[in-house]
Amino acid sequence: MNLKHLRLLALAGCALASANYVAAQAPAPAAPVQAVESKNINEWLMRMHEASRNRSYVGTFVVSSGGVMSSAKIWHVCDGKQQIERVDTLTGPRRSTFRHNDQVVTFLPEEKLVRTEKRESLGLFPALLQTTGSHIGDFYQARQEGRERVAGVDADVIALVPRDAMRFGYRVWAEQKRGLVVKLQTLDTEGKVLEQAAFSELQFDVPVKLEKLAQMMNKVDGYRVEKPGLVKTTASAEGWALKNPVPGFQPMSCHKRPRVTPTGDEPMQWVFSDGLASVSIFVEPYDAQRHARESRLSMGATQSLTRRVEAWWLTVIGEVPMATLALFADGLERRK
Amino acid sequence: MNTMKPTTQNLEMISALADGQLASEDFAAALAICEADDQALASWNAYHLIGDVLRSPGLAPQASDAAFLARLRTSLAQEPPLHALVTSRQPMVADMDREASNDGSFRWKLVAGFVSVAAVVAVAWNTGAGLLAPSAAPQLAQSATPQLAQARPEVPQQVLVMSAQGPVVRDARLQQLLAEHKQFGGTSALQMPSGFLRNATFESPQDARR
Repeated sequence: MNLKHLRLLALAGCALASANYVAAQAPAPAAPVQAVESKNINEWLMRMHEASRNRSYVGTFVVSSGGVMSSAKIWHVCDGKQQIERVDTLTGPRRSTFRHNDQVVTFLPEEKLVRTEKRESLGLFPALLQTTGSHIGDFYQARQEGRERVAGVDADVIALVPRDAMRFGYRVWAEQKRGLVVKLQTLDTEGKVLEQAAFSELQFDVPVKLEKLAQMMNKVDGYRVEKPGLVKTTASAEGWALKNPVPGFQPMSCHKRPRVTPTGDEPMQWVFSDGLASVSIFVEPYDAQRHARESRLSMGATQSLTRRVEAWWLTVIGEVPMATLALFADGLERRK
Repeated sequence: MNTMKPTTQNLEMISALADGQLASEDFAAALAICEADDQALASWNAYHLIGDVLRSPGLAPQASDAAFLARLRTSLAQEPPLHALVTSRQPMVADMDREASNDGSFRWKLVAGFVSVAAVVAVAWNTGAGLLAPSAAPQLAQSATPQLAQARPEVPQQVLVMSAQGPVVRDARLQQLLAEHKQFGGTSALQMPSGFLRNATFESPQDARR
């Protein structure tokens, strides 16, 4: 897709916005499936993604979830090909997270500890959109809900409405000029806000050098460096299958993370995604001492469920309704 | 050589060494003390441990630790065979004991006690990349005191994690899995524009360590 194409679509989006503006004031009813809109969700997502690759900025980002509010100072520098980001927490323990494309380095100065890791999931988009197995448009539709000002910039408000009750909805504020996401809400099945994240202050095109951030990222002198060792595997190799797949959710990856524990267990993490929401299934051997009771917890948009399955202990975590986590737990089957 | 000097003076020297206050001759002398005296070396290690704990609020004992330690101490006192094991098998803890008995001062004993507390915490810490400390510790307590756990059923089997910022009660293990979900489960089209920022910004209780 070229930029010209994108601009045209954005224009079309703006035109649609004014038409929908009045309707958007009231809580929107479940709109009938429209071919144009379902096609647009990919375009919107692509535009937001492109903006994060082409727009340099410095800002303050605030996240509010489950009654907890956190904020961070963000530096984001890119040259169209590569991007570097620095996120310094302003609340809680001090922490600096650097990201150079899919390479992530987290500094914990109070513990003199650095964690370095490669996050393959960061590189998945836009491939995530292009794979035939992933039809975000089949499970969500985009609807423009007008314009608002966020952090000093004019933004389009786009609702990503789920087509069934198995996932949460989102409301995205995308900067009008280029489409950078400046605010994001996660909404439950009744439209209540579960979690929101937004820039409170944002400056574009600030003179921060890519090289300078890269230098800071590599300065680990005096820190203990920790690299999580991940071992790729498959669910079937571990003896597990999902006998009833959950609609829209595709398996994305599966790995084990060897760690030194009293029991020496290596929990398997099987990750699913419907393109917007992700779910992790963790399986480890059941231990009567540690796994005393089954639980269902929710914190902001993130829900978790634990359950005993014969000799195994299951923990399912995801940004989906609890009922969807239960579907995953119910569907998991031992095949060994 | 300064090995003949009184221990307290040596300790002061080692303390200054650990704080990085010594230069040239004093520095060499302090190193010589460490080389000649195993106890001095142990002190040097202990001072560093104390420094680490004081510098890092995450390592400092909190109310829950105090309760855990009280249980651990009670159970250790009730277990004579374990005592024998400690003196014969665990040089680090044994060293702390010796230092404490070398000095009659109550204040120093307090510090030594604190250090052995820190040692227990540090040992638990090292077993699992830091995150396991809360979960590993109660297991230790439980395995050491089965009778105690039975006598007091209100003692939670899981570690309940109370976030300073909200009424969030979770167990440490779940916290760890939650962090891993955020790290590797972020397969979302919204991850790049803002999901990553959200996760890097958000103060999950797991980062508060307990």
